[in-house]
Amino acid sequence: MSERLKAVFKSEPTGVTRLVSYIMAGDPSVEASLRRLKGLADHGVDVLELGVPFSDPMADGVVIQAAAERALNAQMTVKKTLELVREFRRTHDTPLLLMSYLNPLLRYGWDQLAEDAADAGVDGFILPDLPWREGQGLRMRTKKRVGNKLDFIPMIAQTSREQDIQAVSQVTEGFAYVISRNGITGGEVELPASVNKFIESLGNSLQIPRCVGFGIQKPEQVRALAKVCDGVVVGSALVKAFAKLDQKGLEGQDLIEQEKEVFSWLASLKN
Amino acid sequence: MVKEKTHVLSDDGYETSGHFGPYGGAYVPETLVPALRELEAAYMESCQDESFQQEFKELLQRYVGRPSLFYEAKRLAEQLGGARIYLKREDLNHTGAHKINNTLGQVLLAKRMGKKRVIAETGAGQHGVATATACALFALPCVVYMGEEDVRRQNLNVLRMRLLGAEVRTVTHGSCTLKDAINEALRDWVTNVEETFYCFGTAAGPHPYPTIVRDFQTVIGRETREQALNELGKLPDAIIACIGGGSNAIGIFHPFIDDKEVRLIGVEAGGTGNKTGENAATLCLGEPGVLHGAYSYLLQDDDGQIVVTTSVSAGLDYPGVGPEHSNLKETGRADYVSISDQEALDACTLLCQTEGILPALESAHAVAYAAKLAPGLSKEQVIVVNLSGRGDKDVETLAQYLEGGANHE
Repeated sequence: MSERLKAVFKSEPTGVTRLVSYIMAGDPSVEASLRRLKGLADHGVDVLELGVPFSDPMADGVVIQAAAERALNAQMTVKKTLELVREFRRTHDTPLLLMSYLNPLLRYGWDQLAEDAADAGVDGFILPDLPWREGQGLRMRTKKRVGNKLDFIPMIAQTSREQDIQAVSQVTEGFAYVISRNGITGGEVELPASVNKFIESLGNSLQIPRCVGFGIQKPEQVRALAKVCDGVVVGSALVKAFAKLDQKGLEGQDLIEQEKEVFSWLASLKN
Repeated sequence: MVKEKTHVLSDDGYETSGHFGPYGGAYVPETLVPALRELEAAYMESCQDESFQQEFKELLQRYVGRPSLFYEAKRLAEQLGGARIYLKREDLNHTGAHKINNTLGQVLLAKRMGKKRVIAETGAGQHGVATATACALFALPCVVYMGEEDVRRQNLNVLRMRLLGAEVRTVTHGSCTLKDAINEALRDWVTNVEETFYCFGTAAGPHPYPTIVRDFQTVIGRETREQALNELGKLPDAIIACIGGGSNAIGIFHPFIDDKEVRLIGVEAGGTGNKTGENAATLCLGEPGVLHGAYSYLLQDDDGQIVVTTSVSAGLDYPGVGPEHSNLKETGRADYVSISDQEALDACTLLCQTEGILPALESAHAVAYAAKLAPGLSKEQVIVVNLSGRGDKDVETLAQYLEGGANHE
């Protein structure tokens, strides 16, 4: 189990709940990603998710699809993503998870990836196209290779059935990523009224903390969810905010000032 | 080396879904997992349900017009020299291709499962038309996702789908072809999963689709087997079918898999060349990986990104392939070859002018390979070509080709 991740959930949150942020590696450049990871960590983000770009992101909405396209246009790869993490780790201890579709990771070579990721300071994986029960072999293989250094974050959907949740109930590492609603990432869709009840119902079955993601962008959503979960994930809204700055063509100090506003907005979500 | 490192998903003997050797599986967002299990359960029930089987069979006979003809193309064979050539005439099915076999089966399943809405992806438009047709027949609303590029080159089919009452949604990102239409249909499904049935068009995608689509399409191979035995008193020596995702090919191959003396040959789109991006010859030139929920051969770059494909035929223009074909390649039971755009176009005119049959550009790939194979065989040998669809939808593309040819002269 990742000690960094464990520490985050052991200590009290600094706001109404813990904040998990998502950005895409290489969107729009390696330098910007590194600066933003550091900024997010410095502005109260508890856990960082770093997206690995993929050409066919079927679980993502338009915002993250566009981010992946920008990153791929900037020649981003798994290898460069790991270098980015290594660089980030020189200065920061915030836990960091790679979020990636399977194919780019398989292509890199799983065993090598596990070693290189652990070595670079990655704390674990979120794999949106690997259902928990299909991933047992890959998890055991990873454990054999690098011990308990890398956590696998199970995702739970509102459609998940008893036996799927049962499988996750054995998990003692990381946290459960609870998908707020049926659908893809992002969007303006309101969260269903059932979400709080659903998360609460998981409390009895799970041994690990619960973080909720998909479509989260407003303080009132966070406040409502904070009562029943241990953290919230903000992805598309954050990616969109940075993309807006990049579209303006800002540079140097101007860009940095405006990025700070994004960090502050994000931090304000947990007030 | 690549194979060894990527078979990691299924090599440890843990519970995984629906594999063909190391290929297949169900690598989808967690939200879809229950929907796929529900589909699998409903499908397995339907297999045991005689009234379902009876209804499906009657539809195939009375609505599709099965069995499709097993026609000896004598003038074609005479022109080529060598083997006798038979065409399995799926082009004569209602809606003009083999796709209707599968969509009627799946839409019957949708009804049985009480789903309120059907979605589909389409490349050439044949699966979209076949889905729209089945939905019209069973009064279900239908949404078809189609890449912008395909909407342009298969406009006739877009109009047909609209006439049939389907809503066609144009997909404008990625390469704007079939793979992007599948991504978009999956996004719709994950959002509206509870009331929606995803009518998948080919023997690819997550388990149980490769099995379901194959089973609905094996009617082609079962008929071919019976027709060959009746007419020839023996099995054919070779069966040739084109492969995009691979549904017409697996449909005709499957009943012959245990007949080792029958060569099974899948023909992929060779496009304009062998370099990355110039073709859609997934099994010939790709490497295994995960796309659209299955572990199978893929056209991908060194970083695991899916590459853009090229083919004159929209229905073959796909960087993936069904997992059962990957396994047939691995075990050596089937051979996979490719045919270039030019060869397919030439085969199209050849079949038109020798037999008066206009094949779909997809099926023309299979005809083209038969034209290569036949001269090397004896007169006693028999080749069956699965003529999976008719070419009316391709006349604009063919017209451009003919005009281009005229200009060269």
